[in-house]
Amino acid sequence: MAAEVGNPVIPGQRLGSIDQFSAGLGTYVRQRHIYASLVGYKDIISQAGQLPKIQIKTGNVSCNLPTIGKVVTAKVLNVNPRFCRVLIICIGTTPLKEPFKGTIRKEDIRATEKDKVDMYNCFKPGDAVLAEVISLGDPRSYYLSTAKNELGVIFAKSTAGHPMVPISWTEMQCPHTEKIELRKVAGIKYWTDS
Amino acid sequence: MEIISPEGLRIDGRRPEEIRRFNCRLGVLSRADGSAYLEQGNTKALASINGPHQAGDKAKIKHDRVHINFQYSMATFSTNERRNRPKGDKRSIDISQLMREIFQSAILTDLYPKSQIDIHVQILQADGGNYSACINAATLALMDAGVPMKDFICSCTASLVDSKTIIDVNNSEELHFSNPLLTLAILPTSEEIILCQMKSRLHADHLEDILKAGIKGCKDIYEIMHREVLNHVREAAAVMNAT
Repeated sequence: MAAEVGNPVIPGQRLGSIDQFSAGLGTYVRQRHIYASLVGYKDIISQAGQLPKIQIKTGNVSCNLPTIGKVVTAKVLNVNPRFCRVLIICIGTTPLKEPFKGTIRKEDIRATEKDKVDMYNCFKPGDAVLAEVISLGDPRSYYLSTAKNELGVIFAKSTAGHPMVPISWTEMQCPHTEKIELRKVAGIKYWTDS
Repeated sequence: MEIISPEGLRIDGRRPEEIRRFNCRLGVLSRADGSAYLEQGNTKALASINGPHQAGDKAKIKHDRVHINFQYSMATFSTNERRNRPKGDKRSIDISQLMREIFQSAILTDLYPKSQIDIHVQILQADGGNYSACINAATLALMDAGVPMKDFICSCTASLVDSKTIIDVNNSEELHFSNPLLTLAILPTSEEIILCQMKSRLHADHLEDILKAGIKGCKDIYEIMHREVLNHVREAAAVMNAT
């Protein structure tokens, strides 16, 4: 957090009218006025062609939840022929205090030839996977997808216990035993800054 | 025993419309997402917040808003006679249910669908106005946790003794069963009343006076809570800038 200017705001404090500003994070609108809903500092972002946006900056990031479209880092817990269970440990670049449960279904692993996917050739328990949240799923877990080039396994250990090196879209190799194992590998060269 | 002496002072030396010493601190527990400790006179409460996190109880998951899990408990050592059950008795369950509804009206619940926020409040020492202390402590802890809320919730009690209103009632005053006891909680900015609970009977003519006194009490408490929250933010910001 950069050096703060001005006074902190508290929930229920009026920040301005919706004729002058648009409501951003940490605010709500009631009777054509914008009010703060968090404790923190007021931050006004000017937007070209639009009303400037008011948001509240806090030092607290505990309220981070997986939402549709976010890329998350997850750890594979177990694999079965239809889906695998994962633990979401990181949303974007922010690590979570408390992990969420997620599911990657067989049909969400690859974008093409979905019916030929074999779960056991894609993930193994213990792998770190980059995936996108596609739905809030059933009550027990979030549904994730790796059906994009840049998504998939980013870290995996071989049966011998060494971190493996990706050698193709579907294969990773152990540098010690030189054994090749099958994975849905994330294409790092497709990563963008976002 | 007279509650208001001929000099116009109450048992503990307060004037009729004066609140008790109000002390609070935010962020007292390091493991919780948010916490607060509060003293209203001799009533002491500790609140902690966990979440929003993935809901544990599948039956309680709501697809469009957050589930608030409120647990009110009184420590076994909080009253004169040792309590056998700190929580889970019928009264605690009733209060927890009531508190959940109160906080549902102030927390912006639709921001966190399918998750859960746990609010645990324990009364460490009970000296009257336990519900009020519980509400105030939970509000401060929610502020500390960074849970989005419409407004503060401030709560205060009021009573009527010999046609005179008194506020922030303590235990010895509460024990006079003939006196009505009003527990009030408001959103201070809009002055919306979100809890209005009356124990014992009161003549309708007096209702307006007692409500007015209660709202004044809530606003006095709001001033102190407000100041404490701002101090807490400034301190946190100072620490962040220093590192």
